[in-house]
Amino acid sequence: MTRVKIRLGNVEAFAQLDERDAPKATKWLKETLPIDGQAMHSMENGREVYVVLDTPHQITEENQTIYQTVGDLIVYYKPAIFVQPQWPRHIRDFLVIGFIYERDSAIRGMSGPLATNLVGKITEGIVALAHEAPRMRREGFGKLSFSLA
Amino acid sequence: MRKLLFELAGTSAVAEMHDDVVPKTCDAVWNMLPVEGMAIHANWSSREIMLHLHGEKLLRLPPEGPDRRGTTAPGDVVYFWRSPQMSRGKQLAYSAEFQRELSELAIFYGDPAGGGMAADDPARSGRDLNLQVATLFATLIDTPKEFAHKCEDIRHNGLQKLVVRRLERSA
Repeated sequence: MTRVKIRLGNVEAFAQLDERDAPKATKWLKETLPIDGQAMHSMENGREVYVVLDTPHQITEENQTIYQTVGDLIVYYKPAIFVQPQWPRHIRDFLVIGFIYERDSAIRGMSGPLATNLVGKITEGIVALAHEAPRMRREGFGKLSFSLA
Repeated sequence: MRKLLFELAGTSAVAEMHDDVVPKTCDAVWNMLPVEGMAIHANWSSREIMLHLHGEKLLRLPPEGPDRRGTTAPGDVVYFWRSPQMSRGKQLAYSAEFQRELSELAIFYGDPAGGGMAADDPARSGRDLNLQVATLFATLIDTPKEFAHKCEDIRHNGLQKLVVRRLERSA
């Protein structure tokens, strides 16, 4: 089973990819890693932190859920208005990879729940992420990176 | 109608109070001003910043005005109160005093202003039980780009000082 290292600001965590139930998305992810970008906090979903993937990818629906839970590692297309201050002219969504670090979160689209590809589960360090993300909400966001462990 | 001045990181915006619709809420907020604190960005309600009220500034006001069902527009300024029973999980980004009972001014500075998208879950809004109050009491007359930009900046770069004052009529 493939492990992924997640680094958010000053802390590290590890996730295991769900290669059995999300074979295409995890294959794509393994080929794409490392991913390193500006961490962003959700403004619409609760306790979600993510990075925007700025190169075009075509991710198909796989192992999807609208019932995200703590520790889920998710990949999906986020409506662009939640990322940028205004709608970009020709872009309606951005591919993102992120995780849920605390309960009472739910990924939303423009009019309701948004299904996300569940590509893995955080197995170590979720408590550290659950403290680092709120700290960054107060003090400012740094980098979020994903790499093969 | 009375006006409010919001000062944030060298920028400002003016709101007009809805004295004709929610006079008691407007009086309560007006009498409490000025107030200042560190504004935090929403993580459920989209483009909204919040100023938590505490100490002698804390307001516990009853609902007033038309029923609101979550619809929120850019420019809305909302008085919000949530009882301790309505706590939404751990609020580690907030000071400990705000992790249960919460009294705040919420400023919706741009699109999407998502008060109805997630923060106001119909199943747990608490409206019928008086566990939560959200009263639209003012509207930004015009939201300068610089002010909106500073609001968005809080999302990425952390808390910023927000001051809310009465905008008195000039002589």
